[in-house]
Amino acid sequence: MSNEVKDIYKIKTTDKETLLKWYHLLKLGRSLDERAPNYLKQAIGWSYHAPAAGHDAIQLAIGQNFDRSKDHLFPYYRDLMTCLSAGLSAEEIIYNGISKDADVAGGGRHMSNHFAKPAWNIHNVSSCTGNHTLHAAGIARAIKTYKSKGVAISSQGESSVSEGYVYEAINGASNEQLPVVFVFQDNGYGISVPKKDQTANRKVAKNFEGMKNLKILYCNGKDVFDSMNVMAEAVRWAQEEQKPVIVHANCVRIHSHSNSDRHELYRDKAELNYVQEYDPIAKFRRLLVRYERATNEELDAIDVEVKAEVKAAHKKGLAAPHPAPESIHDFVFAPAYVPQKFPEGLHNEEGEPKKLIEALNGTLKEEFRRNPDTYIWGQDMANKDKGGIFNVSKGLQQEFGRERVFNAPIAEDYIMGTANGMSRYNKDIRIVVEGAEFADYFWPAMEQFVETTHEYWRTKGQYSPNITVRLASGGYIGGGLYHSQNIEGALTTFPGVRVVYPSYADDAAGLLRTAMRSEGMTLFLEPKALYNSPKAATPIPEEFEVPYGKARIRREGSDLTIITYGNTTHMCVDAANQLNDEGIGNIEVIDLRSLLPLDEETILASIKKTSRVLVVHEDKVFSGFGGEVSATITDLGFEYLDAPIKRVGSTFTPVGFNRTLEAATLPNVQKIKDAAIELLAY
Amino acid sequence: MKKIGLFYSFNSVKTKQQAQKIIAGIGEGNVEVVNVEEATQEQFLTYSNFILAVPTWFDGELPNYWDEFLPSVEDDSLKGKTFALYGGGDQKGYPENFVDGIGTMADFLEARGGKVIGHTSTDGYEFEGSKAQRGDKFVGLALDIENQAALSDERISNWVEGLKKDFK
Repeated sequence: MSNEVKDIYKIKTTDKETLLKWYHLLKLGRSLDERAPNYLKQAIGWSYHAPAAGHDAIQLAIGQNFDRSKDHLFPYYRDLMTCLSAGLSAEEIIYNGISKDADVAGGGRHMSNHFAKPAWNIHNVSSCTGNHTLHAAGIARAIKTYKSKGVAISSQGESSVSEGYVYEAINGASNEQLPVVFVFQDNGYGISVPKKDQTANRKVAKNFEGMKNLKILYCNGKDVFDSMNVMAEAVRWAQEEQKPVIVHANCVRIHSHSNSDRHELYRDKAELNYVQEYDPIAKFRRLLVRYERATNEELDAIDVEVKAEVKAAHKKGLAAPHPAPESIHDFVFAPAYVPQKFPEGLHNEEGEPKKLIEALNGTLKEEFRRNPDTYIWGQDMANKDKGGIFNVSKGLQQEFGRERVFNAPIAEDYIMGTANGMSRYNKDIRIVVEGAEFADYFWPAMEQFVETTHEYWRTKGQYSPNITVRLASGGYIGGGLYHSQNIEGALTTFPGVRVVYPSYADDAAGLLRTAMRSEGMTLFLEPKALYNSPKAATPIPEEFEVPYGKARIRREGSDLTIITYGNTTHMCVDAANQLNDEGIGNIEVIDLRSLLPLDEETILASIKKTSRVLVVHEDKVFSGFGGEVSATITDLGFEYLDAPIKRVGSTFTPVGFNRTLEAATLPNVQKIKDAAIELLAY
Repeated sequence: MKKIGLFYSFNSVKTKQQAQKIIAGIGEGNVEVVNVEEATQEQFLTYSNFILAVPTWFDGELPNYWDEFLPSVEDDSLKGKTFALYGGGDQKGYPENFVDGIGTMADFLEARGGKVIGHTSTDGYEFEGSKAQRGDKFVGLALDIENQAALSDERISNWVEGLKKDFK
């Protein structure tokens, strides 16, 4: 019983139709939950099943208090009952369980028991438990920004609250005053780990009691009425007050964590018995009969009806087709913007050169003027006259306001995760984030970065996170280990993100424009050493655009092809000019601009001409992006080569802070020349 | 003294043993026992004096049988009725919710005009939080078989002696 909550729902006064509807849902959910392991035993599917039994009441309440016309629901992998109660049908549950193409979550692409229906705002979430709290905070920001009705409801087990990102989400929702209901379903265990090994408070919601603007409600998640009343109050309060709520629901886990767990190995018989006694459905039925709200005959009739319903859904599930193997390539990338004025990303503009920093700042402003649904946030980027550590965002907040341009807390995962969340609100929204103050600090956001790369594919094209992640990258500034690294070698390993790395102001402008007009996520790496460099300054035509996957030949040549991007483009051009002047060779320099997708066509055309390749980048040679470029060339153009492919890049060490260490680590013109001379000798 | 209705779960073990000690202390003739799992509104309203056995389940919850019974009297006035509450808790295992059940029940009864007697000192217990705590007292008798079993008999005995004076 929760003292501060109105008892809207009571056994004696709730109308019979509603009570019987709940009973039907509870029995249907339990029946599907109990049937799930059979599919695995028969090798049909549902290889991951986390039973909902014991969580039934709170899950019924979450679903019943979710209104798909205005709310957004983020269920976790134990939320079978939640999703059924929110409107999924029995066959939709089974399609997901046995991973059929008809699965509305995403056609069997995601793990079983991850129920969702994006078309109804029941979001398809990660297996990284609790990381959707950030998405809930993000979409709640959109709900607030657009002054919509509705709330975000995020559901998770109590153990996942140990994850740092959950703190980031709740802290952010508290600070921004966002209408999110965070539901903690507390069954006492994280798989086999008891909650005493997770946190000092038995009720983990207590860890958040000091947060401002946050209401915390405790309920008996095994009791239908307490759960219904508390969830109704939570949703009402969050919506009316535009602030977050935590609902901490005590549940029991009647079965093992999942079908790969054996709870009898760590729970004694007394516990296994008492969790059975707590069965929420048995209690609800006793109440219905005791207070003469339904007869045993009426309830038995529902039980029979449920049995038939599950049988019919089972038949449909078995008959439904599997996804086609060739469909794996569908929905890897969301549609890109196709440049209209500059289809090749080339121009003949003459005039005053603009610095790379001016190109970024100007393009951001132009795109913000063009699209009122554009937002940008990050660390240290919008306080009065300071517009970021490098001034890329200077003047944006003054022109577009705090609602569209704002500082984020020092929480990279929150920056990234709320972008993923807010983008869900509508397809017009375009978000730019400074993923971290320096690229080297992006690692705390990696789980959300990876998550975001999955979204479009995992939902079978139902959700595309439309985000540009800007990162100031690279060295040559004496920045040491956390202000000088390149991280594209790691970040180009994920399908679902486009990666661009301009070297010149015009390409920076053109690629940023394309990224901000495209669907999907683009990682936009900025060579910060070139922000104010005259070398990178160029004239920029109005509304310049650069398509993805179009490299640019920065110097034509016939004896050797150098493939490069970012800071080293300029070094390669210098090296090529020097070697030409020295009469050693005529070198072609290809500036990739886009790493993902890679312009194989331009690379191959050049190699056909030169028969020699040098790949140069600032990142480490070992496992750097150049390895992929080299392998691609070997695969597609080996017959055109007269020499081995060589690579120049950083040593396999971190970038040292002392200038002599930095110079020893990073590539330079001389190192490039030396490698080129070696190749030209073949 | 009017007859006392002692409501407890006949299927319980520890609570039942405690009930028997209470009956022995008060005198069998002064007490009528009722199985709360089968209790009805009519039965409940028959009495003016009550002893309710309310152990705390899980992280501070009422047992199912009380949860399921209380709606039957939630709309009734309990004015003029006197209640004494006892129940088990585990101050080490559940220190944040020690004997919450007693507090939850007291709130329910008092909200409907009932008088709750038999408050006991919190001295001698170590816990972090309890809905049953009012200042330096519990609103009933807190028994902790898990950690302080040896103290239970004396606690029951002292409590019963007090009740004999307080029940009219």
